[in-house]
Amino acid sequence: MLSAARPAPKSQSAWALAWRRFRKHRLAMSALVVVILLVLMAFLAPLLAPYDPTAQPTGGDLASFYFQGPSRAHWLGTDDLGRDVLSRIIYGSRISLLVGFTVALSAVVLGTILGTLAGYFSGRPLRFYLGPLAFAYEGWHPPLFALWRVISWVLFYAFLYFVARLSWILASDAVRAALGGSWTLSNAFSSLALLLVWALVALAAVWGLWGRLQLDLDIAISRLIDFMLTIPTLPLLLVLSALLRDPGVAVGRWAEALFGSAASVFIIITILVAFGWITIARLVRGVILSLREQEFTTAAQALGASEARVMFRHLVPNAIAPIIVQATLEVGNAILVEAALSFLGFGIQPPVATWGNMLTNAQEYIFSAPWLALAPGFMIFLTVLAFNYLGDGLRDALDPRSRL
Amino acid sequence: MFAYTVRRLLQMVPLLFAASVVIYTLLALQPGDPLDQLRQANPRITAEQLEALKRAYGLDQPIYVRYFKWLGRAVQGDLGLSRDYGISAAQFIFQQRLPYTLLLSGLALLISLAVAIPVGIFSAVRQYSTADYAITTLAFMGYSMPVFFLGILLLFLFAVWIPDHLPFFPRFPTGGVPGLLWSDVRSGNVGFLAFIGQWAWHLALPVLALSVIQIATYTRFMRASLLEVLNQDFVRTARAKGLSERLVLYKHALRNALIPIVTLVGLAIPGVLGGAVITETIFSWPGMGRAIFDSLVAKDYNVAMAALAFLAFLTALFNLIADLMYAVVDPRIRYT
Repeated sequence: MLSAARPAPKSQSAWALAWRRFRKHRLAMSALVVVILLVLMAFLAPLLAPYDPTAQPTGGDLASFYFQGPSRAHWLGTDDLGRDVLSRIIYGSRISLLVGFTVALSAVVLGTILGTLAGYFSGRPLRFYLGPLAFAYEGWHPPLFALWRVISWVLFYAFLYFVARLSWILASDAVRAALGGSWTLSNAFSSLALLLVWALVALAAVWGLWGRLQLDLDIAISRLIDFMLTIPTLPLLLVLSALLRDPGVAVGRWAEALFGSAASVFIIITILVAFGWITIARLVRGVILSLREQEFTTAAQALGASEARVMFRHLVPNAIAPIIVQATLEVGNAILVEAALSFLGFGIQPPVATWGNMLTNAQEYIFSAPWLALAPGFMIFLTVLAFNYLGDGLRDALDPRSRL
Repeated sequence: MFAYTVRRLLQMVPLLFAASVVIYTLLALQPGDPLDQLRQANPRITAEQLEALKRAYGLDQPIYVRYFKWLGRAVQGDLGLSRDYGISAAQFIFQQRLPYTLLLSGLALLISLAVAIPVGIFSAVRQYSTADYAITTLAFMGYSMPVFFLGILLLFLFAVWIPDHLPFFPRFPTGGVPGLLWSDVRSGNVGFLAFIGQWAWHLALPVLALSVIQIATYTRFMRASLLEVLNQDFVRTARAKGLSERLVLYKHALRNALIPIVTLVGLAIPGVLGGAVITETIFSWPGMGRAIFDSLVAKDYNVAMAALAFLAFLTALFNLIADLMYAVVDPRIRYT
């Protein structure tokens, strides 16, 4: 009776199981609905928005169009230039989502590649430098390495020349004074330091002829991450944004020519990716470090799969669950940071409407026109909250063991 | 442990060197040079005078030379002059700005911990109760709250809307610091309570804005950490021995669950001293964060460089301290 009443269980893929678990997470499901609605809003912006987001009123009594409170014609009122706030909110979703998704995707690609390389090659230093007179021992010599070998000589000796020249520029005044007869302590010290540096440069130059150097990719990438974590992020984002936006800088000119008034969007995305890959890379590195010790990796290597195939066909797909979760959280984070930068005036520049730069002046008008601050702020909050809940739900669904 | 500390301290040197190179280069590449303002302020300045000024500031030399000259002076404690304030950048940052940031951000951190740790414990002990759901939901919302929106919202509510609509509700200040100084209290002009009251009055909203996100983060962390410990064998053993639930929780579980919190707080301290750029900007609080922001806008690069280098140094230092604290509070961890 028991067996007759119940049909044999259908086999389900891991994704179907994950979807079933995800559906039980009610808040995550509502977050998914919110995200879908936001995406629809971004795509259908021209149909939904009642006005042009940058259109300013024309006519006789201009002042009467400014700071209108919410009304039937303007559901969320108008701003300090008479533009419709609702339309700007709707168009702003395009920027926020564009920035969020692009940053998350690029950061995932970059972070996964670097994290995989670091994890997979950890403890296996790669040839990095081989002097022109060094004996190239037997083994695998791809043509790419031969090319890099030559490039590395040039770089190495150029660097030595740079150090020697720099030390001369810095010490030359003191040395001239010392030769002229004024042997003060600091002059003597500078001269001594110059000699020391030059001696070191000469030694390094000799070493460079025969020397060989191996580099552990893991150490290099981990040090790079440590370094990125040391520099204060938000101030540096401000500095970078101010720098790249300048039309006097090559990147700024190029972006201006390519993207027009939306150049600052491209620049913000670039900057956020430059800092966004770190979390993903650390995560992926950890996962790969444990995965590469498992039997299926050994099996793939024994079957003669190339390093790249082992890494990206066998290892990375097994790390996909935490990557997806982190990517979702990264979308929310990128939206938040973009809004913060735009709020401070260092992000996406007017006239492009974003939720962040709609808030910039809102503080000044908080007494007279509070709706200017409330609507964009609430949208940012809602979007970030939705992506955080989505990530939380995905974490529970994809990896039932881990619960934070 | 000693050898480990020394090694880590030595590793900090190249790290900080690289960080200062990058920060200096980015600042030096910024559009417009520090002479722009002079040029605007004094249209009659001649090209020769500008050249002389350029030489005097060392701006005629390439960036890498300028960097090493800056480094040479910086290791001797000379961080240059602030162009806008006419005093040394070190004096400006450490004497005029750091105390305000310490007050604001330190207070916010202390309050956050004082709220988050008990709430996190409560939430973990009553896992899956209604209160737990309410706390985790609130924590999630606080965690997703953009601080600039929260700041503006608090201003709107407590400085504008509620005082407008409730006749006896006090109107909170929209920003800035009170004019009362500690020296006024010492000279007897102002009562001690009035002094504390004035400062608390001005600190309330910025501290609240800063605390909410930290409370949310630490609550989530405390809850997760305690839940993880509560599932471990030694807690079951303690219960099996017949110890009271109180003893199990506070003596066995909590002490272990606090270990990751120690690290988290250690890592948060550079951020505390760095000041909250956004919060300080919204509430016009004259701290480090605002100093960094203003110096970037005004191209007062000696100040920006000094502040950013100081922050990088703090971050590296507190990374090390957090790791060392970890070993101190958790005897299972040994560094060699």
